[in-house]
Amino acid sequence: MPSSQRSHVITSRGLDEIIAHGRDGEVSVAQFLARAVALAGKLPDHRYAINLAADRYDFFLGFCAAVIAGQCTLMPSNRQQQTVQQVADDFADCYLLGDVSMDGIERFDVDSDSLATITPSVDIPEIPLHQLCAIVFTSGSTGRPTPNRKYWKTLVEGALSNAALLMQNQKARLNLLATVPPQHMWGFETSILLPLYSKIAVSHVTPFFPQDIAESLASLSEPRALVSSPAHVSALLGANVAKVKIHRIFSATAPMSAELAGQLEQYFDARVVEIFGCTEAGTMARRNTASESLWQLADAFSLEVGEGRTLVRASHLPEDVELQDRVELAGHKQFRWLGRSQDMVNIAGKRGSLADLNHRLMALPDVIDGVIFLPDEDSKRLAALVVAPGMQASDILEQLKPSIEPAFLPRPIYIVAMLPRQETGKLTREIIVELFEKIRRARAQQDDESPSNQTH
Amino acid sequence: MQPQSEFEHEVAELIVESLNLEDINATDIQPEEPLFDDGLGLDSIDALELALAVTQKYAVQLRAEDANVKEVFSSLRSLSAYIAENTS
Repeated sequence: MPSSQRSHVITSRGLDEIIAHGRDGEVSVAQFLARAVALAGKLPDHRYAINLAADRYDFFLGFCAAVIAGQCTLMPSNRQQQTVQQVADDFADCYLLGDVSMDGIERFDVDSDSLATITPSVDIPEIPLHQLCAIVFTSGSTGRPTPNRKYWKTLVEGALSNAALLMQNQKARLNLLATVPPQHMWGFETSILLPLYSKIAVSHVTPFFPQDIAESLASLSEPRALVSSPAHVSALLGANVAKVKIHRIFSATAPMSAELAGQLEQYFDARVVEIFGCTEAGTMARRNTASESLWQLADAFSLEVGEGRTLVRASHLPEDVELQDRVELAGHKQFRWLGRSQDMVNIAGKRGSLADLNHRLMALPDVIDGVIFLPDEDSKRLAALVVAPGMQASDILEQLKPSIEPAFLPRPIYIVAMLPRQETGKLTREIIVELFEKIRRARAQQDDESPSNQTH
Repeated sequence: MQPQSEFEHEVAELIVESLNLEDINATDIQPEEPLFDDGLGLDSIDALELALAVTQKYAVQLRAEDANVKEVFSSLRSLSAYIAENTS
């Protein structure tokens, strides 16, 4: 069925194709659509659905039902009560979809089991391109969610772009397992939107521990695909799990080293494809990390690298997006990643501003001077040097907790007498890191010599 | 405040060590306080590192039903009990 210029079909897959591996086995496109349409008719009459379904199939069904019903799905950056409450406060005409209850918010259970007996559908719903379908939230350094609106046009054309970028020459259906949540933009694009427009059947589980990931993969038939992050896949390698062939490993959320990519390719007989993107623009480039250092930009995107900033353009994005990364163009539709913008840090898949974090540190009454920084590009955590007479590092940590998202809490915090500022008051990165390393080495030495630490 | 058992203290030290929580004293970790969210403020990256450390030290593979990761890690006490139960 051709889509008009004002709408686009919810899926371009054939009705008999398999789109998901649910709790009770394979689900065809015809079955899936019939259930989504039936569910759409039952959803509470509100504008926004906060989809917290833990089961990926339930999330998938709930999302498609909301789209069909003309509702917008809200995707908080985590399932913590405080985060969800903030989203519900900002979008009052909402209800909760999924297995989490919260005081004062209407809840609706997807209950996909009761939909399993519905007669498969032959109608494929058309969705208006201008329909607001999802709002993805990024947490930022304070934990206060920032909304990012996704219209159907952006989602569909983004998914088609990803199909071209990630599924090149892929003829057989991929059976896909994701370790990242569907509420995160990366998981949403690859495990929910991509299966609507390319040959993918997505598994309903989201395993976390290495052993569980390996077993979930083994339970899928070949060819398999894994959507994950460097932290998850390096844990998978480190745990020495049973070998299983993985046709494609798609990784995003943090940079992956060529070394890790190479080890993964060898161990799992896989091809590792790393993805470059952000919540605002979605997936925009790829590289085969084990053998390539340059990124290949998707056809739908273009980059404008200017004085101190880089803009991303695509006809399906409502506006240009400013990248929080420094890049250098290198040949046709290719670029080299130089690093994050000086101010931006990415910790545990969350993006934060160092300027904002430092502002919050300096705002503490007991802090005279201080700096939060990333010790080096590969650091998983931030660190801090703080001038706060009479205070312990643990006091500062406690004081920071209410105003900073946990992932960004510095560890360690070292209390120092003063910061090595230059005469102008400037604090260079090199000097900060040098002082930090000096203290760290001194402490390590102290620990080694301390008799109380000889127990292991 | 409830005291840590000897084994809980050992696990508390493993937590502090494997997650570089230099600013936290292992003895100060409350046995029944949540390790994630409001307690120590740990996140999923910590959960992976801690799981790896537990596997290396006790040869116990952590397992969880979907989204029940938090139950295993809900407190020092539950994590210690899980390790003790699964150590042969």
